[in-house]
Amino acid sequence: MKHDQPQLIDALASEYVLGTLRGAARRRFERWQSAEWHVASRVHTWESRLIPLALGLPPLAPSPGVWTRIEERIRSADAPPATRRAAARPALRALAAGLLMCAVIAGGYVAWRMTQPLPLQTVATIKAEQGPILWSIELDAHRERLRAVALAAAATRPGHSFELWALPPGKGAPVSLGVLPGAGQLERTLSDAQRQALAIAAQVAVSLEPPGGSPTGAPTGPVLYVAALNPNV
Amino acid sequence: MHPMTAPGRRYTMANGAAANSTDDELARLIQACAARDRQALRRLYELMAGQMLASMVRILRRRALAEEALQDVFVSIWQRAQQFEGGRGPARIWLMAIARHRAIDVLRSERVNLYREADVEQLPEPAMEGMGDWASAGRSAAALARCFEELSGEQRRGIELAFINGYSHADIARVTGEPLGTIKSWIRRGLASLRQCLES
Repeated sequence: MKHDQPQLIDALASEYVLGTLRGAARRRFERWQSAEWHVASRVHTWESRLIPLALGLPPLAPSPGVWTRIEERIRSADAPPATRRAAARPALRALAAGLLMCAVIAGGYVAWRMTQPLPLQTVATIKAEQGPILWSIELDAHRERLRAVALAAAATRPGHSFELWALPPGKGAPVSLGVLPGAGQLERTLSDAQRQALAIAAQVAVSLEPPGGSPTGAPTGPVLYVAALNPNV
Repeated sequence: MHPMTAPGRRYTMANGAAANSTDDELARLIQACAARDRQALRRLYELMAGQMLASMVRILRRRALAEEALQDVFVSIWQRAQQFEGGRGPARIWLMAIARHRAIDVLRSERVNLYREADVEQLPEPAMEGMGDWASAGRSAAALARCFEELSGEQRRGIELAFINGYSHADIARVTGEPLGTIKSWIRRGLASLRQCLES
């Protein structure tokens, strides 16, 4: 697939918004859209073209309970841990209040810690045998976030993308970790499949692909670089 | 009657409460949500939930499933309100896009079950007689209605089944009895004609 053709981008964007782009192609297009603003902009154009069609449907009033459940969900997402009524006996009230205070502080601290992203550590550096480092790949300890940092200006090839793969041991199929940035850095949240692949992989590889990445979900172009994955993370 | 050759009808592209609430008001409400104003979310719900649910029930075919997805949509609006950029386009489009994406995501995961269940929601046809209220629907909706009517019957029906009902190419082939390749080409050509007409 030649992803650099504006007409093709537009056609994919139109079928994406229409809903007929499905399965792996849809997921690939979503990744591409979030990485490239000009792809996202075609999606926005098609949304404003087609969505008035959906606005022509007669509105359907939701059941009364729907709003209540939305309110509960946003409240529990936003609120600090709920306070409880203090114990009935006056003698216990001070103790209960004290314990509650500790619980709130501890709960708040745990909640705060859970929302703090874990630090990223470099797990692989990708380079040609003699050349400078082209990308460094960073991961957090839970393998939830991956950041790829382009370090050399040579990391672009017109009309192509470089795609990163986790190489499982043995004969397992490579698992895509997404397209690498030509410059700057790109950070993404990993899927369960990507996390599992990284947990067992000993190496990562970079293949040359059409813009936006492999259209098949498996490497289609030549594998240009292979790098060891640091197992200590 | 062959589903692809139903007589042409007039399309109304927007109506109801959503059309009366201006995009400016919706944009202000989304910004207020970003500032954690729950009343603003409530007001957005009053203005948009009916329109969103109509579209989601069409795609998901079961009200309970659509209402659950509608909850996700409003929680998502609450969480993503800060990402809304006024300059990107009309607020109503942004809101409806979130609702549609959610419905299609749920459809992907529930697909098999949907086809097995016989008790899908019985829905009225989306057809509406008479031209829409273009003043409130906006210029882009009027242009879409005009261009939509210029499509051939097959192209229009294909796009409608895909967009409104959430049908895949294969679903449309099944309900129309036409080969998959024919359906793909109807839709591809229909979208190309729409683009050409809307850009002219």
